[in-house]
Amino acid sequence: MLLYWLPNFIPQQHYAELSPENTESQKKRDKPLTYEMANPPHYIAHRKTWNSWNTSNLKDGIRRSETALEDEFIRRFMNGTWHGLVCSEIIIKRQFNHIRVAAIIRRAVSPTKMYFLLGYSEELMANWLQCPVTLELQTVDSFKDVVFKYI
Amino acid sequence: MSLFIKHYRPGSIFKKQILWRLNSSVAENHESEEEFRVLDILKKRDKQQKRVARRIDVPADRAEKMSTDQNWGNVWPGPRSFHPSTVPLPIRQGYVPKGQVPPGKKANAELMKIPNFLHLTPPVVKTQCEAIKKFCTEWPKLLNSDEAIEKHYPVEVITSDYCHASPTIRNPLARVVTLRVKLSTLNLDKHAKDKFLRLVGDHYDEKTDLITLTADRCPMRRQNLDYVNYLLTATYHEAWTVEDWEKEKMEADMEYYDWNNNQSKKNLVNWYHHCSNKDKALSEDEYKSFDISVIDHGEEYKLAVSSLFNDGESEKTINNYDTAVRKLLGLPERKAIE
Repeated sequence: MLLYWLPNFIPQQHYAELSPENTESQKKRDKPLTYEMANPPHYIAHRKTWNSWNTSNLKDGIRRSETALEDEFIRRFMNGTWHGLVCSEIIIKRQFNHIRVAAIIRRAVSPTKMYFLLGYSEELMANWLQCPVTLELQTVDSFKDVVFKYI
Repeated sequence: MSLFIKHYRPGSIFKKQILWRLNSSVAENHESEEEFRVLDILKKRDKQQKRVARRIDVPADRAEKMSTDQNWGNVWPGPRSFHPSTVPLPIRQGYVPKGQVPPGKKANAELMKIPNFLHLTPPVVKTQCEAIKKFCTEWPKLLNSDEAIEKHYPVEVITSDYCHASPTIRNPLARVVTLRVKLSTLNLDKHAKDKFLRLVGDHYDEKTDLITLTADRCPMRRQNLDYVNYLLTATYHEAWTVEDWEKEKMEADMEYYDWNNNQSKKNLVNWYHHCSNKDKALSEDEYKSFDISVIDHGEEYKLAVSSLFNDGESEKTINNYDTAVRKLLGLPERKAIE
């Protein structure tokens, strides 16, 4: 069940299967969805926004592949480092060479550990990516706080 | 062994040692009194230690303790993702079916995604502008209008700087340099202007009178800037040189219709002489330098013919020509045909 709660274990392409359009046969309505999951990808820019904000996404943007690869690396690193704690998508915003990583984290570990993980993640990512990295975290009590609806 | 030594009491050694060897869980009963724990190899502990979920005391939101007259610029000094406990605003975001309430600000990833301008409130912008004011210099007083700027700085160099959200500050498009200058600001005579326009070709825009030179062939901006400057200088000086073969320019090579050099003027002069009974043969140069102001409506006729050839045939030029010819020959004005 815990695996199911973790939004990151459901790949984005499967979100559509969980979307409200496919819920006719689902009677129990016991599957929790976050807002991100409840809106399939074609609602990006209508009901939800992108998870990566950078200028490489724009037309004629430079460093497209590098940025995409780094973003994927950051996502995997965050999900692995904050294992079982990340309750949302990893949001990566870039400004010049500054990378701001935002996420919603569960308060399941002690604040001391959180502070350690914070500094650890920032330091390691800054070393790998050769950019200043800032983590902007928001904490919630449990996964239930990020549930938008049940299907 | 340590256990053995620890529990050494006269008379009880044998019994205790046996007990420990038979079943390690027995020794566990003494755990509360003992300092050392026993290795429980067979995992026979009946008491499983349950993990107690400790609630971490979360302090109240910072937003609730904020005073109403605080300096918001100190709370939110720089760009940062939205944080619900710092922003004292009852914000909601999210699409919901009609009749429902959008999700609140807490645990709302959508609010964290969108860029916010909470660090750029009007008072903060004002203070920052005040702070950088001391680095600004006064605008030159004489350059108070676009015309003055154009007059004193006729050459305009256009380059682009690119800012992106990547670790690199380079952009290949930043090398492109465009130079613009008005043709009228260049010091050119009739021949040089004609040659200059032939040299620049498409780079001249008749409507705006601008010459636009763009260079992107060199890898650096400085090199491209040098190149456009070189292009302008070279074209300008080339326009002023007169080659020997340029004297061979025929009437057919003219880029525009010059009435003075054409048959139309000869015809007019001959006709004028014939009417005044002073028929005489004139040389080519005499025809060219003949002053047509002695002929009534001659100037008007010249303009009409020139515009007919230079501007092309249109209703206006044809009518113009019609009127000029009628005036010249003393014919009555054209009556409007109903």
